[in-house]
Amino acid sequence: RPRSEPPLFPPGPGGVAVPRAGLKKYVLPPDYSGITVPERTKLKFMEKVPAVPKVRREPRQLRDIRGPSQEATDFIQGQYGILALGGGYLHWGHFEMIRLTIGRSMDPKSMFAIWRVPAPYKPVTRKSLGHRMGGGKGPIDHYVTAVKSGRLVVEVGGRCEFAEVKPFLTQVARKLPFPAIPISRDGLQQMRQEEEEKKLNNQNPWTFERIVTANMLGMRKYLSPYDLRLKGRYWGKFFLKHRV
Amino acid sequence: APAAKMAALNGGAPWRRGWLPALQFVRRGSKAVTRHWKAMHFQRQKLMAVTEYLAPRPAISPRCLAPRRERAEEDNGYARLLRRQVEEVFRDNRMIAVCQYNSMPGEDMVLMRHYLRKHNIEVKFVLNEIVRPMLSQSKYKNLLPLFVARNILLVSPETKVKEMLRVLKGVPQVNLLGACIDNTILSRQGVENFAKLPSLEATQGQTVGALALLPSQTSSLLQRGSAHLTALLDQHIRQLQAGEMGSPAEPTPAQSSGTH
Repeated sequence: RPRSEPPLFPPGPGGVAVPRAGLKKYVLPPDYSGITVPERTKLKFMEKVPAVPKVRREPRQLRDIRGPSQEATDFIQGQYGILALGGGYLHWGHFEMIRLTIGRSMDPKSMFAIWRVPAPYKPVTRKSLGHRMGGGKGPIDHYVTAVKSGRLVVEVGGRCEFAEVKPFLTQVARKLPFPAIPISRDGLQQMRQEEEEKKLNNQNPWTFERIVTANMLGMRKYLSPYDLRLKGRYWGKFFLKHRV
Repeated sequence: APAAKMAALNGGAPWRRGWLPALQFVRRGSKAVTRHWKAMHFQRQKLMAVTEYLAPRPAISPRCLAPRRERAEEDNGYARLLRRQVEEVFRDNRMIAVCQYNSMPGEDMVLMRHYLRKHNIEVKFVLNEIVRPMLSQSKYKNLLPLFVARNILLVSPETKVKEMLRVLKGVPQVNLLGACIDNTILSRQGVENFAKLPSLEATQGQTVGALALLPSQTSSLLQRGSAHLTALLDQHIRQLQAGEMGSPAEPTPAQSSGTH
């Protein structure tokens, strides 16, 4: 077949080309042979407070938001999921929103969803409103889960396509306290591949990593020791996607 | 570093000599992780600006080069089957006529097919997009311009062109475009002339007769001289007989029969 066939019917005076019938190409339906749907397809209910509530009030430890995630970065059972592109805390309200929205929008017979984050475990204290500073640490107000960037929040799978799942996953992702996107297995792989390619074909000879490891121009005076690990891609809880 | 400072304060030799640490950590402002976007030190901003990603720029912009469209390798079984069928059609049948096909009422179509079937002519529908690549690679290249727009093939192992033309004359929606009869490509005029030709047996008989005409004349050609002489002598005898009525005619016929 030639690359660019000259139109056999050039458009007439009305500017309309006469359509011609061709061979119908039948697409095979998707193959769901290797997918097993577990028994409990809907998301489990997450408790507001853990079974053993914490007595000792914990320090803030914001480092559980900072930097890339080390756990739950890859898919386990499902094919599609929500990827966090920033750090943040999820509290019970977020969990309920996710559970109800996904439960409402998915088909429990052919699809399933699983949590990739634990139930809220970290106590957050709040002082009562209107009081001056001082008087000790406030009592525990609620519990939260820490999420770092690059972590999966929920996974969805079953006999479904990404296009079916994407609408309600984007709806959920927009409501989360950190930037998040719906993603599939292929999409995640492609994202990682693109990052690698960017690293390789970067025309800039000066990279953050190179300057920091060699401490060029005494830059480490203005940078944190964590920047050796974070390499300029993370700033606080934010993940800078455009940086290499 | 605060620990180091404390250790130095407690009992280090340099501290006793009044040594100030070179680095002094500023403990003002917010923590490392904040809800808002923490303002970066200017030097850090400069560093971030310097170490940005630069995309590779090819010498020729991809918009200037021709678009490289990959070959769609469908080749599904259905297309292969249709191609096989078309190959069979072209191989098995002596007469293949390509006609333009405009939409006809169903019953007219059925009637036309019936009449053609009586003369052992089949109506075949082929898809242009399958036939065109096949024809361009085979010896029927000159049939390519015919396979444009809606068309049908009338195929037959015998060549009954006259009956086919008669049927098609009654159907205004199907127009003959061209035909390939016995590996000869004919246009519409050619097909009509072909129809006017006598049948094969008659032409064969004619050829045989024309060829046999000359040998049949050979014997008469060879005998022409002596036949001429015989005729002249007979005429001469009649003249003599007419001249001499009463004289004995025996010696002259005996002489003439002796000379033979």
